[in-house]
Amino acid sequence: MSASSAAKWANGEAHHCAPNCAKPEKNAFWKNNRDCCFLDEQVHHGACNGGLYRRPFKESFEETPMLVAVFTYLGYGILTIFGYLRDFLREWKIEKCHIAREREEQKDFVPLYQDFENFYTRNLYMRIRDSWNRPICSVPGAKVDIVERVSHNYNWTFDYSGKVVKEVINMGSYNYLGFAENTGPCAEAAAEAAAKYGVGVSSTRQEMGNLSRHEELEKLVAKFLGVESAMTFGMGFATNSMNIPALAGKGCLILSDELNHASLVLGARLSGSTIRVFKHNNMQSLEKLLREAIVHGQPRTRRPWRKILILVEGIYSMEGSIVRLPEVIALKKKYKAYLYLDEAHSIGALGPWGRGVVDYFGLNPSDVDVMMGTFTKSFGAAGGYIGGKKVLIDYLRTHSHSAVYATSMSPPVVEQIITSMKCIMGEDGTTVGRERVQQLAANTSYFRRHLQDMGFIIYGNHDSPVVPLMLYMPAKIGAFGREMLQRNIAVVVVGFPATPIIESRARFCVSAAHTRAMLDMALSTISEVGDLLQLKYSRCRTVPSLDRPFDETTYEETEE
Amino acid sequence: MALGAAWKQLSWFYYQYLLVTALYMLEPWERTVFNSLLISVAGMAVYTGYVFMPQHIMAILHYFEVLQ
Repeated sequence: MSASSAAKWANGEAHHCAPNCAKPEKNAFWKNNRDCCFLDEQVHHGACNGGLYRRPFKESFEETPMLVAVFTYLGYGILTIFGYLRDFLREWKIEKCHIAREREEQKDFVPLYQDFENFYTRNLYMRIRDSWNRPICSVPGAKVDIVERVSHNYNWTFDYSGKVVKEVINMGSYNYLGFAENTGPCAEAAAEAAAKYGVGVSSTRQEMGNLSRHEELEKLVAKFLGVESAMTFGMGFATNSMNIPALAGKGCLILSDELNHASLVLGARLSGSTIRVFKHNNMQSLEKLLREAIVHGQPRTRRPWRKILILVEGIYSMEGSIVRLPEVIALKKKYKAYLYLDEAHSIGALGPWGRGVVDYFGLNPSDVDVMMGTFTKSFGAAGGYIGGKKVLIDYLRTHSHSAVYATSMSPPVVEQIITSMKCIMGEDGTTVGRERVQQLAANTSYFRRHLQDMGFIIYGNHDSPVVPLMLYMPAKIGAFGREMLQRNIAVVVVGFPATPIIESRARFCVSAAHTRAMLDMALSTISEVGDLLQLKYSRCRTVPSLDRPFDETTYEETEE
Repeated sequence: MALGAAWKQLSWFYYQYLLVTALYMLEPWERTVFNSLLISVAGMAVYTGYVFMPQHIMAILHYFEVLQ
């Protein structure tokens, strides 16, 4: 298969909302810039690449309006100037300094707090800090109770007023299937396990911490995923950061997506392999890197790489985009690389049976070499797992740092996962699990569709339950969080450094526990706050989801 | 009643100004400093315009030979 045909199947075409496309036309993009507002339908960029995708892959990342970008920079400029002013006042002791600073004796040493991150924390983050770290005092289900805090010195310290804001609609918790509850079969099973086994395990997996329930859980996870064998760990972050070093080492190449989670980045760096980054969800970029790696080999010696590991995530939690898994698998098979799929957000949340992104695309689980995921999001528990071939998992049992040094999972948590997983699979004899998965899909499409219709800029795939709503301006980050809480809705707002500095956003996580009434209430409140803060930036100009297939970074340009 | 509506509209515009220029995040004394600076610069511009506009207009009219 030549490169141009590879690029051809990787390119998608735009078509007018047609779910099936008869024949792929070569690069026919529809850019309805001026006319789109007059059209009833929106242009969707579906990629039906000769049978790789069974359904249209609809993603949109609308570009930032120019005026909004200018005002965002203006806002940051003003904040920076005032930041310097305040730092000057603090330095010259005109104002009391509340934040950490070096001691008098260390003033002549290398400065610790002069970099941009610390400047940003002192002068920008502190001013709107009340939107984060809010203490909650009930189970984080569809509704949550939040402890009220007041600050008398502009967020440097908080006092508790003694009141609790009750029954706040929770649009921020990762509770995709609604298993974060304190009643029901899962909670009862967890309570029984705590009564029987206690709460602490007091050992690592390799020593005395391997309970029989752990073995059962692992068999269940393997059955759920459709793989030969699985292994579970006590902490999701540690699953990534402690197991990638066991899989890759010196002389290996790791190809990691631009927007990968910190745990994947940390694991890759700890492993000591060479890391190359490809553009987010861009298959041309990935293919170019693969070809270069195979043709040129290791940097100085030109030896072939010991292994090439591709790190991708199922759903990227800041963008709401879903990985192009069929294309990644096709590339991996062609170039004989290995695939590590982190399904932290997508397991339980995607797919007709809730089995994750592999199920969503209708692919074979044995095509993915290492399937990793966490139990935090859809199962209402904590911890992570890795699934794959039996040889791989047996190797990881002895060589993973997490198995050797970290305490194993707590028994109530294990029970919670077992009960919720059986519920999703339908093995507890009810259809509750299946209903929840379908309810989540219905809620997701309802919520996303209405937000888009209202005129907000929403990023990501149309099927992903993570919904980022763009805010852009720094003042609107704080204002949005506060106004929504006043109207009894808890949201998570994100700014720098988790996102690029001008692309701050509010991230909603749709849950199966949200009823239609709750979603309607949330939507009307979001619309009201959106009108108040003027957040409805969308000019229905959807950029094609394939990034710039004609620029100099794609393979087609550099071929021959 | 119309005054109430006008006041509401004005305070909404002020709120938008605070959000766009990120003054919303600043403390009241910082807002005062920034607003005073802005008003003084704008005031100086208006005053300069008021003082020099007649001369400029005469010069333009002379240039286009409308007025001798």
